[in-house]
Amino acid sequence: MIDTALSSSGTQVVLAASSDENYPPENIIDGNTEMFWISTGMFPQEFILRFSNTVKITLITIHCYNVKNLKIEKSTSNDATDFQNIAEKEFEHTDGHLQTNDFSLNGTSATHLRFIITSGYDHFVSVHKVTVEGVN
Amino acid sequence: MVKLRAKCILVGDPAVGKSALSQMFRSDGAHFQKNYSMTAGVELVVKSVNIPDSIDSVELFIFDSAGKETFTESCEKLWGQPSVLCLVFDVSSEVSFRSCGRWLERVRAHCQGLQVPGVLVGNKSDLSSRREVETAVAQEWAQSQGLEYHETSAKEMENCEAPFLSLAQAFYALYQGQLQTIQALA
Ligand SMILES: Nc1nc2c(ncn2[C@@H]2O[C@H](COP(=O)(O)OP(=O)(O)OP(=O)(O)O)[C@@H](O)[C@H]2O)c(=O)[nH]1
Ligand SMILES: [Mg+2]
Repeated sequence: MIDTALSSSGTQVVLAASSDENYPPENIIDGNTEMFWISTGMFPQEFILRFSNTVKITLITIHCYNVKNLKIEKSTSNDATDFQNIAEKEFEHTDGHLQTNDFSLNGTSATHLRFIITSGYDHFVSVHKVTVEGVN
Repeated sequence: MVKLRAKCILVGDPAVGKSALSQMFRSDGAHFQKNYSMTAGVELVVKSVNIPDSIDSVELFIFDSAGKETFTESCEKLWGQPSVLCLVFDVSSEVSFRSCGRWLERVRAHCQGLQVPGVLVGNKSDLSSRREVETAVAQEWAQSQGLEYHETSAKEMENCEAPFLSLAQAFYALYQGQLQTIQALA
């Protein structure tokens, strides 16, 4: 098992619906929770990760703050089209620490993952780290 | 530099001047519609506001909503998770002022626990001889509801930007507060 959601393993953020240049979406895949991406108002918000190869995913973990409803979609195409829903969850509100949530999957393959935040516990939500376990 | 985006719900009784205000704001005072043309749904007006003493801005997505009751229900479908609220009455109409509590309740039902900054706007301040709502009375009610009070005249181009500027600034302050909270966590 390897963490494939790392910029060091070739993963990229190819789209984010909003951004403050001091908190760019690349912070999601830098491997630590210290640096983060923050949305800059209104819902929904989304970002898309692109892997360097097709990945068979077993587990997705997301560290975030103030996220209420999250949907995850995947694409198996090379050009980020035909997204299909693979997971959906309402997160619990946390105060004073990050939200950490897991999504177990049974080896579903993907080239892209799309994270759609449809609502939040605040106007602004932050995503600190996403890890994706799987095999290439 | 950051550009925030805020969903601004604009409500109030029919003909109080919501569309006039948002159009004056959008066009920097170049366009006042003298003849009444009723809004039948939601009209979207988008405009960026620079935050003073910064290089940041807030893009307001103003949802200019119909005041007429028969259209309100369909408007409400678009009000989910608002960022800020602009509630308007006509200072020459006591009735329009008394409706404000009801409008406020309606919008708050869509806030889902979010803290939504709001302003109360007394429009048509040019109609001084026909004034039915005293400034002090409106001011006091606004304060009791946690709203900032502004008086405007879309017709005379008086003060039309102030309510929107103050909403943009309030939203920006929320962003900065939230950034601090999150930085302290990480
Ligand atoms: N005297 C005066 N008239 C105004 C002012 N603002 C708007 N009006 C007039 O009031 C009438 C109604 O204005 P609108 O902006 O269409 O009102 P509204 O609140 O959008 O009405 P609905 O769309 O039906 O909800 C128009 O004839 C405007 O010209 C003002 O500041 N002073
Ligand atoms: Mg109108």
